[in-house]
Amino acid sequence: MKTQTVVSFKSPLGRPVEIIKQTFTAAGDKPGKRISFVAGLHGDELEGVYLCHRLIETLQQLKNTQPQAFLGEIHVYPAVNTQALGCTSRLSPFFKNDMNRQMGDNNDASFTAQLATALLDDLQAVSDIVVDFHASNLHLRELPQIRIIEGFDKKLVPLAALCNMDLIWVHPSAPVFESTLGYNLNHRKIPTLVVETGISLRIHQGFCEQILQGMIHLMRQTGVLKLEGPPQQVKQSLRVNPRQVALVQANHSGLFISNVALGDHVNKGEPLGKIIDAVQGKTLETVTFPASGVLFTLREQPVTYEGATLARIALKETSPQ
Amino acid sequence: MKETLLSISSPFSGDVTLCKNSWVGGKPSDNILSIVSGMHGDQVNGLYINSLLTRFLDSVVAGHEPDFKLKGQVQIFPVVNVHAVQSGERLWSFDDLDLDLAFPGNDKGEGAEQIARSLYTHTVDSTHAILLKTAHPHYEDAPHVQLVDPNRASKKMAQSLGLEMVQELIPTSNFKLSLFYHWLENSIPSLILSAGKPGALDRPLGDALLDGLIDLMVHTGVLSTVRKKKEKPQLQIYPQAGQCHVVSSHAGLFIPEVPVGSFLKQGQKLGELRGIYSGETLEEYSAPKDGYLVTLRQYPVIYEKESIATLLTEKKPGFWPF
Repeated sequence: MKTQTVVSFKSPLGRPVEIIKQTFTAAGDKPGKRISFVAGLHGDELEGVYLCHRLIETLQQLKNTQPQAFLGEIHVYPAVNTQALGCTSRLSPFFKNDMNRQMGDNNDASFTAQLATALLDDLQAVSDIVVDFHASNLHLRELPQIRIIEGFDKKLVPLAALCNMDLIWVHPSAPVFESTLGYNLNHRKIPTLVVETGISLRIHQGFCEQILQGMIHLMRQTGVLKLEGPPQQVKQSLRVNPRQVALVQANHSGLFISNVALGDHVNKGEPLGKIIDAVQGKTLETVTFPASGVLFTLREQPVTYEGATLARIALKETSPQ
Repeated sequence: MKETLLSISSPFSGDVTLCKNSWVGGKPSDNILSIVSGMHGDQVNGLYINSLLTRFLDSVVAGHEPDFKLKGQVQIFPVVNVHAVQSGERLWSFDDLDLDLAFPGNDKGEGAEQIARSLYTHTVDSTHAILLKTAHPHYEDAPHVQLVDPNRASKKMAQSLGLEMVQELIPTSNFKLSLFYHWLENSIPSLILSAGKPGALDRPLGDALLDGLIDLMVHTGVLSTVRKKKEKPQLQIYPQAGQCHVVSSHAGLFIPEVPVGSFLKQGQKLGELRGIYSGETLEEYSAPKDGYLVTLRQYPVIYEKESIATLLTEKKPGFWPF
């Protein structure tokens, strides 16, 4: 494994701020497919950081035991927003800006934007496929899923289907995506899968192992790795579009209390939970599922404002990919 | 008149609200001027300026300003991000969402999206609009106007303020998520007035800008006056190519030697960078060209390759007068 510094900025008081990339080179002389894995754009999303650790660990073992397995080149960027990760903040702490909203053209001269530009350019230079790992925000927990913007789906859905995900969600484009890493790489013709899993500030080892297997499978199927033995079976992901997703939102502000579990198959009318007024000791709202299907998003952070997302369901009629 | 446009109850205390103050002239008029501040919780100069305008407009309506008469409608939105303002932070830590990246919003969405939608809906029919802000975190702005793709109407509006300096902004990749973009999309002559630094009230600055904003109201037709029209300085518009950034080559403590808003001569020293542990001078900064120091680093701790200062150096030639 080769450790490289993508970009480095001297800091006023200590170690420089850097983006580090770990590279596993191809065994042969013939250049194979190149894949890159990125994590930690948001400093409170630790699932991807752990996933990159598991990838590096697994690939190092493989390099020792089956060096010829590396037909292509693998780059892992395990912690790209080190300052934000250091204080477990979604945003870059110094400027309070979002590194994953600083990608693309004409961004400002801020430190975060310069880091973002360096990362984007490096990924473009060394990758044929990119996987960008994210956890959900502070409030919601997600089943392992890949989100794809319409227009990029032809190229990306077949790749996503190799990744052992519970769900592949194809959704319309919106301006909010235009400053993200995934959008900009796809726009530059580098197929990029955006993985969402778990919740911020936590690591769900089960989900991470599921995704790790998916990434190994992806690398085998795309010719980056050639492993002995038959390929592992992967999940048949549910493929949904926005019409096949039911969103449940809070009608009241309060504490959301729920006993259901992520991944449950739920039925219309069954209880999802309740919103309580903790000060007055009242139940403000009993929330039921509006449709039947698979619960793939669930609110974990109880403090809830009116309009907040409580759950998402992949509708029952959705067929596996 | 204060009006609550949106109220989202809180689980524990203090509703999230969007309020506006509005004043309507005696006769029906199509002229509506919207002025927005408090998009970020640490931009307090805008709150102060809007409080001065509110006092002035109340006084006009009450007949205590005999030189002025309200002809159209003025609506002021003093605070957009209530929680962030109340917590003294740029963003509200509950969601860490930048409200100015939430437009056009969603009236059925999360709180920030609902606020954005409500503000969008209540300003989209304006005939003129102004966003009051300060510099980005860690910087200080000399009072100046920011325009995107300026046209005759927005330039005239800027000129009426009486500020000479206009910085032309190039849209970034997330510009489409901002309120200002949506005003422009709806062909509303609009400008951003940026002045001061985050987290600090500059009262003299706010007081000085009040007269310009009153003149702008007269220009837009929402206010009439019997006073003689003032001579306004010629507008200097600086495109992106004429904006010169001074960038650090080292990391350390920045000690400025000139105030923001100065005109600098080429080679004039604007500050130096010192090692925090060593105290030694690591780097001296000087103006690369003659220019107006529109933005200066205010928070002294600096990383390598950060912008220390922005100078407006080359104005757009030959576009004024119209």
